[in-house]
Amino acid sequence: MSDKKYWQSFGERSNSEAFQKSSEDEFSESLPLEGLDGKGLLDAKTPRRDFLKYLGFSTAAATLAASCEMPVRHVVPYLNKPENTIPGVADYYATTYTIGGDVIPVVAKVRDGRPIKLEGNKVSSLGQGTTGARVQASVLDLYDTARLRFPVQIVDGKAQEVSTFEAFDKLVADALAGAGGAVVLLTGTITSPTTKQIISEFLAKYPGSRHVQYDADSYSGLIQAGEASYGKKAIPSYKFENAKVVVSLGADFLGTWLTAEQFSRAYAKGRKIDEKNPEMSKHFQFESLLSLTGANADERFTHKPSETGAVALALLAELGGSVTAPALPENLKAGVKKAARELIENKGKALVVSGSNNVNVQIIVNAINEAIGATGTTVDWASPMMTRQGIDSEMNTLVADLNDGKVGALLVYGVNPAYDYFDAEKFKAGLKKTKVSVSFNDRLDETTELVKFALPAPHFLESWGDAEPKPGFYSFLQPTIAPLFKTRPFEDNLLKWSGNATTYEAFFKQYWIGKLGGMEAYEKALQDGVVEPAASAAGGASFNSAKTGDAAAALAAGKKGGAYEVVLYQKIGLGVGAQANNPWLLELPDPVTKATWDNYAVVSPEFAKKTWKDMDLSDRRQADGYEVFPKKQVIKVKVNGKELTLPAVIVPGTHNEVIGIAVGYGRQSADPKNTADYIGRAAAGDDGSGTGVGKNAFPLMSFNGTTVDWFGIDASFEDVKDWYKVAITQTHYGYEGRTEVVKELTLDEFKKNPSTVLEEREKELKPFGGVENFEKQGTLYPTYDKPGIKWGMSIDLNSCFGCGACVVACHAENNVPVVGKSEVLRFHDMHWLRIDRYYSTPGGKLDNPDDVQVIFQPMLCQHCDNAPCENVCPVNATNHSSEGMNQMAYNRCIGTRYCANNCPYKVRRFNWADYTGADSFPNNQDQKTVGKLDPAVFQMNDELTRMVLNPDVVVRSRGVMEKCSFCAQRLQEGKLKAKKENRVLEDMVDIQTACQQACPTDAIVFGNANDSKSLISTTRAEHAQRLFHVIEEVHTLPNINYLAKVRHTEEVYGVAEEGKEATAEKHS
Amino acid sequence: MSLLRYESQVRSPLVDGDKDYHQVTEDIIRPIEAAPTRAWWIGFIISVACLLFGVVSVTTQVIYGVGQWDLNRTIGWGWDITNFVWWVGIGHAGTLISAILLLFRQQWRTGVNRAAEAMTIFAVMCAGQFPIWHMGRVWLCFFIMPYPNTRGPLWPNFNSPLLWDVFAISTYFTVSLLFWYSGLLPDLATVRDRAKLKWRKAFYGVAAFGWSGSTKHWQRHEALSLVLAGLSTPLVLSVHTIVSFDFATSVIPGWHTTIFPPYFVAGAIFSGFAMVQTLLLVTRKVLNLKDYITMEHIEVMNKVIVLTGSIVGVAYLTELFISWYGQNKFEGWAFAQNRVNIFSPYGWSYYLMMGCNVLSPQIFWFSKMRRNLTVTFFMSVLVNVGMWFERFVIIVTSIYRDYLPSSWSTYYAPSIWEVGFYVGTFGLFFTCYFLFSKFFPVIAVAEIKHILKKAGESYKDKMGDLEKEPVEEFAHEYAHAH
Repeated sequence: MSDKKYWQSFGERSNSEAFQKSSEDEFSESLPLEGLDGKGLLDAKTPRRDFLKYLGFSTAAATLAASCEMPVRHVVPYLNKPENTIPGVADYYATTYTIGGDVIPVVAKVRDGRPIKLEGNKVSSLGQGTTGARVQASVLDLYDTARLRFPVQIVDGKAQEVSTFEAFDKLVADALAGAGGAVVLLTGTITSPTTKQIISEFLAKYPGSRHVQYDADSYSGLIQAGEASYGKKAIPSYKFENAKVVVSLGADFLGTWLTAEQFSRAYAKGRKIDEKNPEMSKHFQFESLLSLTGANADERFTHKPSETGAVALALLAELGGSVTAPALPENLKAGVKKAARELIENKGKALVVSGSNNVNVQIIVNAINEAIGATGTTVDWASPMMTRQGIDSEMNTLVADLNDGKVGALLVYGVNPAYDYFDAEKFKAGLKKTKVSVSFNDRLDETTELVKFALPAPHFLESWGDAEPKPGFYSFLQPTIAPLFKTRPFEDNLLKWSGNATTYEAFFKQYWIGKLGGMEAYEKALQDGVVEPAASAAGGASFNSAKTGDAAAALAAGKKGGAYEVVLYQKIGLGVGAQANNPWLLELPDPVTKATWDNYAVVSPEFAKKTWKDMDLSDRRQADGYEVFPKKQVIKVKVNGKELTLPAVIVPGTHNEVIGIAVGYGRQSADPKNTADYIGRAAAGDDGSGTGVGKNAFPLMSFNGTTVDWFGIDASFEDVKDWYKVAITQTHYGYEGRTEVVKELTLDEFKKNPSTVLEEREKELKPFGGVENFEKQGTLYPTYDKPGIKWGMSIDLNSCFGCGACVVACHAENNVPVVGKSEVLRFHDMHWLRIDRYYSTPGGKLDNPDDVQVIFQPMLCQHCDNAPCENVCPVNATNHSSEGMNQMAYNRCIGTRYCANNCPYKVRRFNWADYTGADSFPNNQDQKTVGKLDPAVFQMNDELTRMVLNPDVVVRSRGVMEKCSFCAQRLQEGKLKAKKENRVLEDMVDIQTACQQACPTDAIVFGNANDSKSLISTTRAEHAQRLFHVIEEVHTLPNINYLAKVRHTEEVYGVAEEGKEATAEKHS
Repeated sequence: MSLLRYESQVRSPLVDGDKDYHQVTEDIIRPIEAAPTRAWWIGFIISVACLLFGVVSVTTQVIYGVGQWDLNRTIGWGWDITNFVWWVGIGHAGTLISAILLLFRQQWRTGVNRAAEAMTIFAVMCAGQFPIWHMGRVWLCFFIMPYPNTRGPLWPNFNSPLLWDVFAISTYFTVSLLFWYSGLLPDLATVRDRAKLKWRKAFYGVAAFGWSGSTKHWQRHEALSLVLAGLSTPLVLSVHTIVSFDFATSVIPGWHTTIFPPYFVAGAIFSGFAMVQTLLLVTRKVLNLKDYITMEHIEVMNKVIVLTGSIVGVAYLTELFISWYGQNKFEGWAFAQNRVNIFSPYGWSYYLMMGCNVLSPQIFWFSKMRRNLTVTFFMSVLVNVGMWFERFVIIVTSIYRDYLPSSWSTYYAPSIWEVGFYVGTFGLFFTCYFLFSKFFPVIAVAEIKHILKKAGESYKDKMGDLEKEPVEEFAHEYAHAH
């Protein structure tokens, strides 16, 4: 604190005699108080000031004693403080996110022995520190209440604890000895070199045994196509950063396809605009549903899944391949032609990817990439990706073997085929026939509850380990917390059962010390988290065109679909459902539909119009009816002899004859009553029936002889005349021509007149002095200087793809409560940061799914310098900091909600109920009549789950308003750090907001705008032409600015048209 | 013939029937002394039941949180503030009748002022419930008071219209209560003096503050009435003006409107008179006070209703005009789409408001309708329904779809506890009103006696013969008559 003295007058400053006297005589007339004894007021027994103090104190004491009975919670201090740990100071450990084969190097923030937040590891060259929603959320899985806490033996469907590991080892050893038949190890993709070695040692012990890798999100087609075309059974690395033209045939490479986080970062490099030299990559998307990637594409064409092969063939033919182009609808033909032209023009700087799991399609795509010179430039075969290795046919063989009784023992690790295998019933039947079955999964999931023995493996944050996503790129795991439960690493078990006495930890250490050449290198590797080879250029591979012809023939002979076709896809939150009990992910709105907590049938507006007479979304009245009520029509989808009853959510951009269904939902135990205990309360759903959140769509898949198809081409549906409520956080479709909210323009327009956006702003603000003088002239009130720090944020709409990593990161960093589906339905979601999604179509028409443009706009507290929320709060609970932040004093808030009403951005969130258990009223979460809270809320309030809370951020009680704080705790920490080190605050080093750090594409820039060298200042200066503030003319003076979206298209729908019409009218 | 013999063809007498002073006292005080009627009991029990429902609703909400209401992150205020503004509006007529009409010497007010003032007080009490209990953490509601504290000191935010509300409404309530009570004093003394039961004598003895009817008392009483009337008059205008600032000072299209202060005041008087009408029609029937609350009263009040209703109508149209003329995209949307578009989710409420408030009162241009009790009663209820919807329209249809289409809300309908709270305030209001009608004279006995001399039917009976006398004789007799 400074020792500044404030003075009110010169007398006080010089403390002159006259002043002293006058201050004594201030109250010259003494008041007739008792106890004065004729002396001055200040000499009385109880002088005036003391009297007020007593009064204040006694009132406060009485109030405290009378009303503030708070539940007592004990803090237990360390008896012996652990070395190297300072309570309250976070430690950071490099480790690796490894779930379902994904390998993402991360840094875990550990506070007082508990990992509470994951950040990307910037040392890694793979993605340079990117994370995604699922990575951000995975720290919560560590504290999942449904995790299996000890080894169990399952007898007659009942799990019985096995008291010691020794006892368990003996049970399994005996069982294995008497198993007879092969021992099969069924795992997900294993990228760990040490694990692979241990597996091979284990397999060597058991003759006839084998290891099967199975991926629920199968890339079998892609891998096998690599084998056919290049003799390499692998997935090449894709270098999106080198591609000027990207054509995606249904690959959701920004959302869920392979390492989408890393692809997003690479792809964003081609999407960011340099104002001095505006260039952008061009992105074509051919797909059936509106995926996140399609939503970001420049040109988008929809087709039925049965036409996938035809589109690929047509493209190859157009590029001069020796195949005949099949018949295609006009729109596709034109699209293919357009894409081909661009690809040819950018030979060597183009890339075609396909999301199909069909080997033949992928072979054609390989041929296309050959034709456009992608191999060796944008498709890197020198360093293939190893994060998916499962081959569908191997799994099929295994399931057949299980049913034939050929397998003596099945050891399952990290996969859940009883849930996510397309023919789960057959797998279950086979599993039943298997004598010995062991699972190492973390909970009694659908597969584990059917095995005989289960020994839970620790979470990756509790584990030692390594991963090799690409040859030579190693990423390490180290424990960030002592195991919470009686778990044992999978590798330990194999070592033990193959008669090796070393533990995995020792094995791991020995292996890497040997490989890296010493303890020092080993420790450095752990510290960095990664070991990587020197950067090398992309490499090609010799292409074998022999298979292309066969593939083309096979595709040309492909079956034609029925009236409707079904596409199965993954949502960015849940993926294939491995993290299905994660409330953060369940409550993360889907980037496109903005729906939470459920899966549903995605249908087109045309589909809805045809099916229901009052659902024409181009009619405002009917659209209102659809959007203001959460209940949606239910349809029964029939495909491949299976059916699924789901609510229909209308998404423009869906092919008119396609129904889309997300997988990863509908987790359910054999006996639904067990779902909440075995799989988790959140995953079990809100109605207590235990049938799970959403419906399981995996059974709708089918096997085409080589791979699993993620679609069904002969589908039908039935209107079951029922309703189901879907919790959607954003109900309205378009932005109604409100260019004050979002600004977008085409690349050509931008090139022609780079100051279009600026001129538009100038026009809007003209009545108030224009952009330059708006701050002063837009108000009657005086304006003030803003010296010192002034926090600012810039969000680039060109590189925000809507992935939602920031949303989950904000949840984790700021202890944002989970409210559950029933509360989201009531529009009570608490996201501090949300991503607004707006569709626009030409002339507001919705019949053509190809003509849909999407814009994503992250929306959070704008930290207005003239904040409408601040002046209306009757108790000053929200006010402005000298650093330009709009801050909340939760303790002061009485909950009038006026601030939220008066927020033009609607970013304030009110604690409608006691979501966190922090309320003054104990046990008030048992609402019965209105606002019943879901099991997910209780799961989040469990003592175990609460360990994930960030101790630097207060947990808000009900009745209090909350909102984005610009991660004030991080800023404070950064400022103190700089101060302690006696240096200037450096942004990106000392301070980063959670959303900024999580963003895979660096769309969010944050820092001190008063520092001309900070990134925020340079960003604003370099992008001055695209910079705008949302609804600027309201004179809120936000500290967040956006950069207008530039589209590499011919026109921008919606707004621009309306604008043009308006000007045309004026001129005519 | 003297001038004094002139009998107005336009004005009918203010008190009907052949009343003398004693009769007036008898008529009005009798219900206090008699045992309550069956109708009274039924009404009272229903009111208390409603009140209890309200208590349960509020308790539930305080324990479980505002999530017990179906408000959401976009619609932060719904029924709560709608009801608040509605009740405050109703609370306007009483003071207007008492104070402004007193200052303007509108003597017809004496028949209705007491009940209207009581209504004001009860309505403001009901209104006050909403801003208090709508808080997320009501136990900290004292944060809103500017009291000395050790937090810095930390004061409330004097920029906030919600704080202005606190001052405006508490002042209004205090002055209205004083006005009402000081007017009651002579009548309470009358009850005291007539009382035969001990408890009644004691109770009214204390309540009457030792009123003896001395000239000094009367003189001070008159002076106080005038002072309080003078104080109340600006308050009638200020309270609803300040309430309207809750909306007018915000940035939300549809709220941010400069016309709000006069428009709200007119609306308040409109709804207040309608409520007075409703209550008096029932009271005069139940307590048999037809001679005091005459057709003349009803007609005069209906005239006020048609006047204020039309002012409100002009305000609505002005709003529409300005939203077009201002060419603000967002405000234009709020009016054209959220309100005028009948097919929009809440479009119906705008037309309900227009129909009840602007169109229906026009029926009172016809004197036959003004003097028709059934029509009047029906209309008085309709106006209050309309005025409720006016507030609902302003609050909900503005915020449910404001600037960012991403935040446009789902459909809002109240939960059972929101309805319960509203019903509870009706319970509170009528419980108070029933108690008032049982224990206090519903018509100002002393004041009605003032006008009896000049306006009663008895004048004709008693003075008819005298009028035939020469002027000097008549003047002499007149001075000594009664």
